[in-house]
Amino acid sequence: MELIIGHYNYWLVIIIMMAGFYTVISQGNLIKKIAGLNVFQVSVFMLYISIGNVKDGAAPIIEPTVELYSNPLPHVLILTAIVVGVATTALGLALVVRIKEAYGTIEEDDIHNQDHSL
Amino acid sequence: MKHNLILRVISKFMIPLIFLFALYVQFHGDFGPGGGFQAGVIFSAGIILYALVFGTELAQKIIPPRVLHFLASLGVLIYAGTGVASLILGGKYLEYGVLGSNQVAGQHLGILVIELGVGITVMSVMLIIFFTFAERGRPE
Repeated sequence: MELIIGHYNYWLVIIIMMAGFYTVISQGNLIKKIAGLNVFQVSVFMLYISIGNVKDGAAPIIEPTVELYSNPLPHVLILTAIVVGVATTALGLALVVRIKEAYGTIEEDDIHNQDHSL
Repeated sequence: MKHNLILRVISKFMIPLIFLFALYVQFHGDFGPGGGFQAGVIFSAGIILYALVFGTELAQKIIPPRVLHFLASLGVLIYAGTGVASLILGGKYLEYGVLGSNQVAGQHLGILVIELGVGITVMSVMLIIFFTFAERGRPE
């Protein structure tokens, strides 16, 4: 029981990660695949940020009365990861736009059928 | 959405506030939560709101794509230039302490300039991404 309750952030992250992963492999629509990839990505952000939390720690802003702070390093790391995530999402969407122009569809099955019928 | 009066009036009221908040997040970044990434995204959100309500043509008259490309590289230049400036002043690359008269002033100045560069680049890159996608579907 301690394993489940004590590490609930890990279980939450696993659920979100698997939901995103399932979306990526089950959906044929390319936009939905990218949305699933983003959900997957958010689970990794949550994993890092929840690890950086210190029990009873305040936000990492220097105040004279506060002595215990959360670890700011994972926050900075994830800030960079969020920016990279925006860039990769933009790249993925640009590829989808290009595929739509070339094939006229963004459904993966239709794209495969068009490739095979050539 | 050019004929929707409520959206036009509310967004005209909101856009200056969004810009003001972006500048607050930008320049308060070394004392509290904030910094260049967040400020750049908030600033570009204001311009994207303008583009959504009034159309991308008008938004591109305010910030032409050529200016955006210039700003995107200017931010990187500011970031790297701060590092080179600290090299010239006798420190290591991006060692902020040597920029000011003492260690604390140098750290403040260095972080402020670095975050300004990050903010300019993030703002212009976000707008480049938005305008590139928005122009794509339009018939020529």
